[in-house]
Amino acid sequence: MRVILSNIVAIYRKELQGYFASPLAYAIAGVFWFLSGFFFVVALQDTLQTAAAADQIAQPFDAAYALMQSFLGLMGVLSLFILPILSMGLYAEERKRGTLELLATSPVTNWVVSLGKLLGVLTFFITMVLPLLIYESITLSAANPPVNPSLLWVGYGGLILMAAAVLSLGMFLSSLTDSSILAAILTFALVLLLWSIQAIATAIGGPVGEAIGHLSLLKHYGDLVRGVVNTSSLVLFVSYIILGLFLTAQSIEALRFQRS
Amino acid sequence: MIEVEQLSKVYGSTPAIQDVTFAVEPGEILGFLGPNGAGKTTTMRILTGYLPATSGRARVAGYDVHEDSMAVRQRIGYLPETPPLYPEMTVEGFLYFVARIKGVSAGDRSRQVQSAMERCSLVEKRKTLIRKLSKGFRQRVGIAQAIVHDPPAIILDEPTVGLDPRQIIEVRNLIKNLAGTHTVILSTHILPEVSMTCNRVAIINRGRVVATNSPENLMAQLNAGSGYELEVDGDVATVQQLVQPIPGVRLVEPLRTEEVMEQASAPHRCRVRVASETDSDPGRDIAAVVVGAGLGLYEMRRTRASLEDVFLQLTMTEEKAPEASSDAEAGSEATVEPVIEDTAVASVATTSESAASEPATSEGEG
Repeated sequence: MRVILSNIVAIYRKELQGYFASPLAYAIAGVFWFLSGFFFVVALQDTLQTAAAADQIAQPFDAAYALMQSFLGLMGVLSLFILPILSMGLYAEERKRGTLELLATSPVTNWVVSLGKLLGVLTFFITMVLPLLIYESITLSAANPPVNPSLLWVGYGGLILMAAAVLSLGMFLSSLTDSSILAAILTFALVLLLWSIQAIATAIGGPVGEAIGHLSLLKHYGDLVRGVVNTSSLVLFVSYIILGLFLTAQSIEALRFQRS
Repeated sequence: MIEVEQLSKVYGSTPAIQDVTFAVEPGEILGFLGPNGAGKTTTMRILTGYLPATSGRARVAGYDVHEDSMAVRQRIGYLPETPPLYPEMTVEGFLYFVARIKGVSAGDRSRQVQSAMERCSLVEKRKTLIRKLSKGFRQRVGIAQAIVHDPPAIILDEPTVGLDPRQIIEVRNLIKNLAGTHTVILSTHILPEVSMTCNRVAIINRGRVVATNSPENLMAQLNAGSGYELEVDGDVATVQQLVQPIPGVRLVEPLRTEEVMEQASAPHRCRVRVASETDSDPGRDIAAVVVGAGLGLYEMRRTRASLEDVFLQLTMTEEKAPEASSDAEAGSEATVEPVIEDTAVASVATTSESAASEPATSEGEG
């Protein structure tokens, strides 16, 4: 058990180190921070305008809550574009450089490697998200009456869970090819599918459509952002994460058998 | 230490290796010699547990590579054809990482990493990013990652490929130093490398092991043996008459046509090859007879059987055998080609290499 943990930590640290030494990672973080700052200003102005309009007709309006919702909604969409770029190299790069041969001939299981990698890339994503949390909490600290901080935590928890699900599936797709670009495109296609699945479900209708609708990432993310914690949402995200890890471990195992 | 029994691997319907059987004793260096595509890498990948074999067994330090894969992986160091390196890591950081995933305990880690860096002369580059290292240094980092956990068995796939002559010598010395404490299998298609570094050679051709023996024994086995090349006045028949009766002389034959081309410049001379019996050295008598008969002796050169001859002989006869048994199809001619080409390339590589390595040694000493 201790050996497994130590191996996970070794892979995790190697991954993190890789991100902090990679210009691509800095570029992604830079673009993410720029866009998120821009969206925050847009969301803030929008909320202020709505609040002013609501004031004029003397309607109650929870500006803080509205701001949080619209901003996290935008962040959810932005993340869906950024996450495939983060996950694309996880295995594709290892395959291209031949370092997969090192990992596959070391006394570590595929599970350990994929879990370490997922935790590494997730930590990088959390690092990217942290500044948003800071400037949002600064703005919300001015709210009167004060905002319940657990709302904020649940919203960001949802964002990170959704990211973990996408990254896990993206990692699987990355293990299928030795081209990072192809992995990114495949992941992006999958993300688009999971995004639009609700529309597809409504089109199908009936119990089947309803069942498919539950697979939607954005629907469950939306729930969490509204502050609604459903066990079903948590189960769905965790299922996606485990599915991604499982498929990754299997695909690396299969790679050894089919290599010619 | 390493036992391989009847190992076969089939990709789809093409067999990569067939019935490969050999054993390596502890502390021994086994050279795995064969033309490109002979199945060296496949065999090594099976030994490291990277590829599953189609049939047969392989054991490292008593553990089956398939059933006890984790135990084997801990006891084996492996340098694949392209060194598996993370360019964004420093040499030291990378070796720490490998030591960790190979299961070196936290207490031993820094000592092991230090000793691997010392053995591979990497100490001065410890803080350098691997991305910035030259090819020679990368190869050394590759070897360092294979020995960092001090494994009893080390497998090196073409460790000297792409290095300059001086680096090749360094790597060979490094490998020689591993002998005794480690069991090493190294693959190569460079023949002198084997005779320089290995205790034993396994020659593999088209997925089959054609010979396993010490380099010396293999050369002794070769009945073409050693002999002399002469350039004398007079014709071949005269020389044959004179030299053939000398005890210890097995055969006198004219040199091949392309070598006789120079004859045009000296019309009265001829060049012959004298093959001697094993364990005899008739050089003195040959010289005496030729000079005594009044034939001008312009050149007399000793030729020794090299591993190259053994290799050529083994891989060529292997080639001819199936051809003879199957009723000589039209395509068989074409299938012979690649092997001949490969060995030709190998011999070219060796000559250019040995020529180039000489100044490097003197430079190293001076």
